[in-house]
Amino acid sequence: MQSVVIAGYARSPFHLANKGALARTRPDDLTEQVIRGLIGKTGVDPAEVEDLIVGCAFPEGEQGLNVARLIGLLADLPISVGGMTVNRFCGSSMSAIHYAMGQIAIGAGEVFICAGVESMSRVPMMGFNPMPNPALAKKSSVYMSMGETAENVAAKYQIARAEQEALAVESQKRAAAAREAGKFADEIVPIETKGGTVSEDGTIRPGTTAEDLAGLKPAFDANGSVTAGTSSPLTDGASAVLVTTEDYARKHGLPILARIKAVSISGCAPETMGLGPIVSSQKAMARAGITAADLDVVELNEAFASQAIACIRDLGLDTAKTNIDGGAIALGHPLGATGARIVGKAAALLKREGGKYALATQCIGGGQGIATVLEAVE
Amino acid sequence: MSQPIKKVCVIGAGTMGAGIAAQVANAGVPVVLLDIVPKDGANRNAIAEGAVAKMLKTEPAPFMSKSAAKLIETGNIEDHLGKVAECDWVIEAVIERLDIKQGLYAKLEAVKRDGTAVSSNTSTIPLAHLVEGRSDAFKRDFLITHFFNPPRYMRLLEIVTGPDTDAGVAAKVEQFADVAMGKSVVHAKDTPGFIANRIGTYWIQLGLNAAFDMGLTVELADAIAGKPMGVPKTGIFGLVDLVGIDLMPHLQASLTSTLPKDDPYHAIARTMPLIEKMIADGYTGRKGKGGFYRLNKAMARRKEAIDLASGEYREKIVPAGPRGAAAKGDLRALVETGGEIGAYAWAVLGGTLAYAASLVPSAAADVVAIDDAMKLGYNWQAGPFEMIDKLGAAYLAERLAAEGQPVPEMLKLAGERTFYRVEGGKRQFLGLDGEYHDVVRPEGVLRLADIKLAAKPVLKSGSAALWDIGDGVLCLEFTGKMNALDGEVMKLIVKAIPLVSAQYKALVIYTDADSFSAGANLGLALFAVNIAAYGEIEKLIAGGQMAYKGLKYAPFPVVGAPAGLAVGGGCEILLHCDAIQAHAELYTGLVECGVGLIPGWGGNSEMLDRARKAKMMPRGPMPPVAKVFETVSTATVSKSAAQAKELLFLRPEDGITMNRDRLLHDAKQKALSLVEGYTPPEPPEFTLPGKSGHVALSMAAEGFRKQGKATEYDMVVSDALAEVLSGGDADPQDSMTEQELLKLERETFMRLVREPRSIARVEHMLETGKPLRN
Repeated sequence: MQSVVIAGYARSPFHLANKGALARTRPDDLTEQVIRGLIGKTGVDPAEVEDLIVGCAFPEGEQGLNVARLIGLLADLPISVGGMTVNRFCGSSMSAIHYAMGQIAIGAGEVFICAGVESMSRVPMMGFNPMPNPALAKKSSVYMSMGETAENVAAKYQIARAEQEALAVESQKRAAAAREAGKFADEIVPIETKGGTVSEDGTIRPGTTAEDLAGLKPAFDANGSVTAGTSSPLTDGASAVLVTTEDYARKHGLPILARIKAVSISGCAPETMGLGPIVSSQKAMARAGITAADLDVVELNEAFASQAIACIRDLGLDTAKTNIDGGAIALGHPLGATGARIVGKAAALLKREGGKYALATQCIGGGQGIATVLEAVE
Repeated sequence: MSQPIKKVCVIGAGTMGAGIAAQVANAGVPVVLLDIVPKDGANRNAIAEGAVAKMLKTEPAPFMSKSAAKLIETGNIEDHLGKVAECDWVIEAVIERLDIKQGLYAKLEAVKRDGTAVSSNTSTIPLAHLVEGRSDAFKRDFLITHFFNPPRYMRLLEIVTGPDTDAGVAAKVEQFADVAMGKSVVHAKDTPGFIANRIGTYWIQLGLNAAFDMGLTVELADAIAGKPMGVPKTGIFGLVDLVGIDLMPHLQASLTSTLPKDDPYHAIARTMPLIEKMIADGYTGRKGKGGFYRLNKAMARRKEAIDLASGEYREKIVPAGPRGAAAKGDLRALVETGGEIGAYAWAVLGGTLAYAASLVPSAAADVVAIDDAMKLGYNWQAGPFEMIDKLGAAYLAERLAAEGQPVPEMLKLAGERTFYRVEGGKRQFLGLDGEYHDVVRPEGVLRLADIKLAAKPVLKSGSAALWDIGDGVLCLEFTGKMNALDGEVMKLIVKAIPLVSAQYKALVIYTDADSFSAGANLGLALFAVNIAAYGEIEKLIAGGQMAYKGLKYAPFPVVGAPAGLAVGGGCEILLHCDAIQAHAELYTGLVECGVGLIPGWGGNSEMLDRARKAKMMPRGPMPPVAKVFETVSTATVSKSAAQAKELLFLRPEDGITMNRDRLLHDAKQKALSLVEGYTPPEPPEFTLPGKSGHVALSMAAEGFRKQGKATEYDMVVSDALAEVLSGGDADPQDSMTEQELLKLERETFMRLVREPRSIARVEHMLETGKPLRN
């Protein structure tokens, strides 16, 4: 099989939905700027891009009408470049990467831009017309709210509120320190908005303490343990990675970050969807022929602290190597954009921190997990 | 008249200045708000900016909508005084110091345009002093506009003009303050304290003195000098707590230093050691640690009152106050009650009325100005002269004389007569010439009360009446308690429709009362439930649906003109009108879920219809349904007419009248404007999501329950609401008629009305006035 690499990663700053600096920016305009940024920093020739694949969890409204094609036109990609929108909720843009890898494997192209976007300000979660199937609603908890599933995981794994808050404090601390040290500078593409240029994340809450979090009310269940402080916030953001064959990247001098070693997808119970990464990561690691002990970098999406802790426990992850620059509790979780962010971030971290293997994995509403194992390229 | 007012500048961003600026913004007019540059800090506009930010969080809200705040441009007087040149009216609301005000005017004179009005919001400083040293041109543009706190809610504006004030400039300000800002203007003379505060301070001082002297409890004093006198039930001590005890010494010092030496106020003004001690200790009233009353947080929020003799707090008591006629507005019975009740009532009332009577014509041109000032500025139900009429002018004069007190000239002039009378269907007042004169309303002011003096209703039922308000327009008035709606109202509506069709042009729905309508008569409904007369209830629901739809499809325009509270069925009747002319202070909503029910008189379909037509509403069957569900399931009530538009209870094109007194006139004009070429609306057809939508709404409600924001029974009620709003078994491929939706609404309502927990909610509401969260 052809060796496939991540040859570039970029993202917009992430901002709180509705009150943040990107709330008045259209998601297609946002992604366009990230893609221009990715092309600029990698130097890839847009004419050689086979397809633009954009992950989006609620592809309607300003994210509708096969937004991938629209973004390609907005970004002045050559008319010859394709455009496809994929939806696997939170796993959408990681799926975009997996799809690109598959296309390469069957000889259907060498260069792909895999992006993700979500404006949770401008397209509501559940979409504008939520119309659940009444029969399915009776027999399955697939429509259950995400917060409730986080409570279920906390209860099932007996994860105390204080433990969840400790993870949230650490996430905020790492993200704040990373920003302070300029470690996001090479991944963030400044975004032009009506209100001016936005070049920093707006989600991080530096100085968050356990006491601050202990004072919050439960957000989803009055008797529960999950609060706004231990949940990823509703976020606006976009991300993109360049996926190419290793040969192509080398030939064209593209900045190779890591090789994609193995991928997987797995289903799980909808009411504990946060556990999805456990099986998907195990499958991907088995396919790569490694164990958790071999991992040097882990990007585990923190949809909620409770599910992140459950996954860390069951997978036996080293917390020192997990979410080194902070996770989604601090950075935010623009649903469709997260997958490309954590794959790109894991690849970049593998390069920055050194080491051999990285894992990017996340849970998916409705009960799925998705995982990508990366390998350092000499 | 010089150029109309299109932009205003307010200088001084304290409570009054900021509140006045907010009310200008509420009128939709841009306003510049300036204050001084703070001594420290980098932001030179911090004071004015801070005032706006604070107002956005204040309750009751100074702003009628969040968007109004955007009309305020903040700045400071060092960098931005030049903006005055863009403004047509400058309102000065800085600290009450003559030197500071005069200094500011000197600067203003250099930057303002000729003809730009400048007014001071002073409550104490005579106009003559304020304009000392100013040019003739400045004096022509200068006047006093004295607003009351809080400026959005207090209707009174006292205007004082000087000998040099240009009549056109004063008229321009008065017109703007009245029509745009909604204030009712009373003209006062340039005398200390003007009218309302001069009488109000005298009244408060008398009340405090007498309670201390007679050894009354504060509860008893307030039970006498409160509701029985037709003044707010806070009485005097409660009012002082509300406005701030620390304000009292300032008012006293100001009036004692400015009132003429022979003014009776000097004789009653005194310092009280207890009050001085309370202020020193931080007991300044509700804004401080407490006042004459307090909630003792250390003792489980026990309600307490202060003992005037010992200065110690003790548990609040229920005093044995006035009873019978004396408690119900018979002022003669009140002052003649034996013991301390009658004595206290006479001390307060006799003294206050005599003082008020002595101020015509020195402080006000006529008795009407005095009465209007006290009604609008202190929320008295009747003004001093109207109270004298109840007490008897001759009785008051005789009793004053018997006690060796001076009898005011106005009382002597009245003799055995009253200060007001109705002659030829017109209300008249006693003038200084001893003759009666018509009370003249400003142009554009129409009161139903005035019409009633001259005519009988065209039709009448037990709970409603129809009045001819001229020019071919009939007015439907509710007359029940809290203007509650029942079968009698529906009966009159059904009779009115053919009558208006045959003989008139249009119908306006309006009442003079503070509340437009509290909704359906729940007491009657509960009675029917208790005797299991469900058939009667269904008849009432069907009858209401029919009557309201009758209004909607009648061949003439129907205009709703609500003010104050308009909830439940009172909101639903408005939803069926062709147009609304609302008072700015409109508190409307569909609150049925709070009493375990759902809207039953067509409110659901009317809300769905306007939600789907709302601007920016996403396409598809769910967004309008979800929007209405969110508003109705939470029993959301608007906090202003502007907010009622945001909530879709009003349409974007519905009118808002700022001045309560102008509402009926404006509504009548609106109705007449719709007459030519009027065609009734076409019945709507709905595309509804059916069961799928119902599941989505239920899931949202379940989230609220889990969060502890909704109760178990809220789930049952919201499920019923979801059933109706999603269209029952509807399929998005089909359309549903209005009649089908009404039937679903009726059937679902009837299901809920049999639920014991709904009945418990209704009972609780009737007993306590508060919703039961079962």
